[in-house]
Amino acid sequence: MSVVLGVDVGGTFTDFLLWRDGRFEVHKRPSTPDDPSRAVLEGIDALGVTPELVVHGSTVATNAVIERRGARTALVTTEGMRDLLAIGRQTRPDMYDLQPRTPEPLVPRDLTFELHATLRPDGSVEVAPDHSEVRMLVQRAEEAGAEALAVSLLYSYANPTFEELFEQAASGSELFLSLSCRVSPEYREVERTATTVLNAYVGPVMSRYVRRLSVGLRERGTGPLRIVQSDGGSADVARVARLPVATLLSGPAAGVAGAFAVARRAGYERIVTFDMGGTSTDVALCDGALPMRPDVIVDGFPARMPTVDVHTVGAGGGSIARVDVGGALRVGPRSAGADPGPACYGSGNDFTVTDAQVVLGRLGAGGLLGGAMRLDEQRAHAAVSGLEHAFGGDPHAAAQAVVDVATANMERALRVVSVQRGYDPREFTLVAFGGAGPLHACALAETLEMARVLVPPMPGVLAALGAVRSDRTATRARSVLLPFVDASAAAIRDALTVAGAEVRTQLDAPDGAAPPEVSWALDLRYVGQAYELTVEIGRDGAFGGVREAFDVLHEARFAHHDAAAAVEVVSVRATARIAGIDADPTPRFERGDAAVETAAVWFAGERRETRFIDRAGLVPGDRIEGPAILTQLDSTTLVAPGWRAEVDAAGNLILQRSGMEQS
Amino acid sequence: MTDAARTTLSAADLAITDAALSSVAEEMGEALGRTAFSPNITERRDYSCAVFDAGGRMVAQAAHLPVHLGSMPTAVRAVMRLGPFEPGDVCALNDPFLGGTHLPDITTVAPVFTGGPEPLGFVVTRAHHADIGGMAPGSMPVARELLQEGLVIPPITLVRGGKVEEAAMALIVRNSRAPEERRGDMRAQLAATRLGGRRLEALARRFGADALRGRFAALLDHGERVVRAMLDDVPDGRYRFEDRLEVGDGITIRLAVEIAGDEIHFDFTGTDPETEETSLNAVAAVTHSACYYIVRCLAGQDTPNNEGCYRPVRFTLPERSLVAAGPPRAVSAGNVETSQRITDVALGALAQALPDRIPAASSGTMNNITIGGYDRARERPYAYYETIAGGAGGGPQRAGRSAVHTHMTNTMNTPIEALPLAYPFTVERYEIRAGSGGGGLHPGGDGVVREYLFRDAATVTLITERRRFAPWGLQGGAPGAVGRNTLVRADGTVERLGARAQIEVRAGDRLRVETPGGGGWGRPEEE
Repeated sequence: MSVVLGVDVGGTFTDFLLWRDGRFEVHKRPSTPDDPSRAVLEGIDALGVTPELVVHGSTVATNAVIERRGARTALVTTEGMRDLLAIGRQTRPDMYDLQPRTPEPLVPRDLTFELHATLRPDGSVEVAPDHSEVRMLVQRAEEAGAEALAVSLLYSYANPTFEELFEQAASGSELFLSLSCRVSPEYREVERTATTVLNAYVGPVMSRYVRRLSVGLRERGTGPLRIVQSDGGSADVARVARLPVATLLSGPAAGVAGAFAVARRAGYERIVTFDMGGTSTDVALCDGALPMRPDVIVDGFPARMPTVDVHTVGAGGGSIARVDVGGALRVGPRSAGADPGPACYGSGNDFTVTDAQVVLGRLGAGGLLGGAMRLDEQRAHAAVSGLEHAFGGDPHAAAQAVVDVATANMERALRVVSVQRGYDPREFTLVAFGGAGPLHACALAETLEMARVLVPPMPGVLAALGAVRSDRTATRARSVLLPFVDASAAAIRDALTVAGAEVRTQLDAPDGAAPPEVSWALDLRYVGQAYELTVEIGRDGAFGGVREAFDVLHEARFAHHDAAAAVEVVSVRATARIAGIDADPTPRFERGDAAVETAAVWFAGERRETRFIDRAGLVPGDRIEGPAILTQLDSTTLVAPGWRAEVDAAGNLILQRSGMEQS
Repeated sequence: MTDAARTTLSAADLAITDAALSSVAEEMGEALGRTAFSPNITERRDYSCAVFDAGGRMVAQAAHLPVHLGSMPTAVRAVMRLGPFEPGDVCALNDPFLGGTHLPDITTVAPVFTGGPEPLGFVVTRAHHADIGGMAPGSMPVARELLQEGLVIPPITLVRGGKVEEAAMALIVRNSRAPEERRGDMRAQLAATRLGGRRLEALARRFGADALRGRFAALLDHGERVVRAMLDDVPDGRYRFEDRLEVGDGITIRLAVEIAGDEIHFDFTGTDPETEETSLNAVAAVTHSACYYIVRCLAGQDTPNNEGCYRPVRFTLPERSLVAAGPPRAVSAGNVETSQRITDVALGALAQALPDRIPAASSGTMNNITIGGYDRARERPYAYYETIAGGAGGGPQRAGRSAVHTHMTNTMNTPIEALPLAYPFTVERYEIRAGSGGGGLHPGGDGVVREYLFRDAATVTLITERRRFAPWGLQGGAPGAVGRNTLVRADGTVERLGARAQIEVRAGDRLRVETPGGGGWGRPEEE
């Protein structure tokens, strides 16, 4: 494969990364939120290429849920269970809200139907369904104008036959059908039902989108389209159209995958990714592999799909600062968003984190996006005046305080993915990207005592990079609920074999290509616990060492284990994978004119003359002592005082505290 | 520390310290929730974690359960009398009259040292254990005195110098109907405690131990300022309200909320005496929690979770009353039911001062159900506890939410599909109880119907309220529907149960719990 195009659609920009002749070209253009495929196709026209493969990180499914623009969806449940999703876990998100809000449902109550049929917990039949009732329910859904039908029956993970009746009944109908036994055959009814309903809700929207995009691509003579899934792997159009719920975290997963690929090439296997944008920040910890979790929560609804474990906080450069009535400085949760944006963008009046960086002299002179976007420094200075009273009238002290509190908020997010998961962040390299990540990275690394920061050469297009490099994947998880003992080994192995066959058939290898590689894992827990940990099984499919690996993992995550306690297998997992291309993101180096400018920047109350250096002019081996600010098209890197940056062979900036040897 | 150390803490350092300490409490909670064994802790997350200063004042609490807000400080102060401590000590208690709430809530308190002889502070966990003995599985029986409710653990040192006092642990574990589960849950609490201790030590290294003490003090002052600013905006006055619990013809909680400047006084003078008939007696700590919760709600998003917030709060609690019970009274329902009525009464009073902020009464009960006995299929004794949501009251801004836990609890449900994997019963119906919310411009939320089918004989205890006295509406809104507890025997016989019941069920019997809706707010608009 020699010409591959990675595309990541963001809220503001659509990023293109074209892999051709062993090199990458970057292209950016404004997104077209009304129909994201337009920007994609226009970008391809602008690039003037016909890629053999287009891999696309997409927010279509997520946005459909958040904005409630999904399909009109009907739901069939077991009798007595129609309100499972409305009840959820019976909790309120904000404990101290006297008037908790009711979330907008995905399925209107008049489109929720109950099937008179009952399974016992072990999957045996108590009351068999009447086929005519099944047909009648399908008909009622259609008559009510439903585009999609979700079916989630109690205990169906143990016996899919009731749900499968709907397949026959709906054959020939236009309904997008989503069965829980197909989408998410795992126990815990609320999660399974939510996953199945989400799949139905985004199904027609996603199908239409990929169809439209595929047609446009075909007209341009390109190769096939693939969509990045929440696990960081990509899937062909057929799988995505059937299982769109697997793409809910497409973009952030691709970003982490891209960052991890870059860091790994540079020799760093243990990293924490830090992607700070205007309105939100994504962090993830990779310990030699992409971190996975079995679910993702979107707008309060859980989707049981393997997902890169990205923790998102609603804080970024646009977070608004203010002093509360008790005299504490608060940064966020309110955000100036993209509109009006930070005061320095020219129309807002609230003082944001980005404005604080402007007041401190770290942003501004050259504007953003290579000067295409000017920053209004006067406006940022005017906005800070509202905070100055708490800082003795000193605007620089106020701005520094805002950056410090923002850093503390980011620290808290990083602690969630590191300390709360049993990892010590000091052992990891911080990989900073996104528009604002590299500007905040040194301060964040200092609070967490991390010794090293890596800033990739293209910190604005890592999601597109992750898309280009993505493996093709198909995954399956199925609850078995068996004791992990010799007596049930055969049953466990059977379930693994079935799951392996399912995922293998979902990835049809191109002619002559190697068949997919299948890997297996078990979700294990001590009997009586309610949370599982996923343990990989060796390639030989034997269970030797699995029990010990579980104890070790449990100790690492929760600081205790019990080698004598009984263990059970909750679910089996299989993943099929066809490796993607190992595209090397090393840029072409051109020694620049080294036109270094100097300007005043404030650090912790001290004014220091600081060099501003165009990153494009740096070549491997260059060393820059902090303080310095490295500018590039879509990001700004701060080398803080006491830090030193070095350009490695692949063009990454490796920032370390001066005096600390690179290990 | 000096006053200077307090006042020099900058606006930024306040926020940074609050974030750092809250992280400690959250990380403890995460560890506890993931490692415990009983569904009550792992699935329902019925626990809280907090950090205290050396003076026994709470400086940070993870946002877990309001009912633990005011009662954890009492526990720490009770434990402090056991000192002096050495590093590695962990104390435990559940005595409701010495810092506990009700017996199933076991609290661990561990001093944290940073070199000197005096602790820097304490880390605390509190978790609701599914069974701690007593006359019925689940330890929330229909009882008349405390000893019927289970094992009473006065403040004791459970871990000394890092070594578990195995005799004490064995005594606790042996007094539960599910000893192995108890051991696992206790171990999880101790692990979370250790983790919290390590995290607090790390903060002491980062900020300096003395400086951290100064920061504790500054955080408490900040909390106090936030709440005083809020109270200052509430119109001064004395606002009265009363409501009843369902014992006999009703036993009454009477409250006058007095707002004067930036202080608030909860005066319960006139409240009925403690009851000998039931366990609806709240210990003072529970009453404090309920009132603190209301203050915290009104003070809004910027309020830190620390005890400084409650300096402007004063109480008058008549001794040996429903809101300040003493030994030997039974108290298990005081924590879960009377606490809800106390919030109702406080809201009813404050609605007169703040008509545009206070909603109508929510369901006003946690609908506690405990099921236990001997599981013949699994050959083991068991005890299971859960609470069922109801409707939230309609409010000035919007209609009440249906099927949600309100006020003093926010515990999750257990997945229906998880139950038959561990217990000999299933849930056959779980739906919103349509039409149970009170009508109004902004109607109350609907309650829930949850129906259990027993596959084996079991002892079932129900502790519920609002089965006779409905959740009230406000500003012309209608009351919510009262709840109903119904037992349908395998042979079809239907028995209406009272608000509190202990019953023996057999295989094939069904229990239907219909929870109350919330009260409506405002007169419905005329068409």
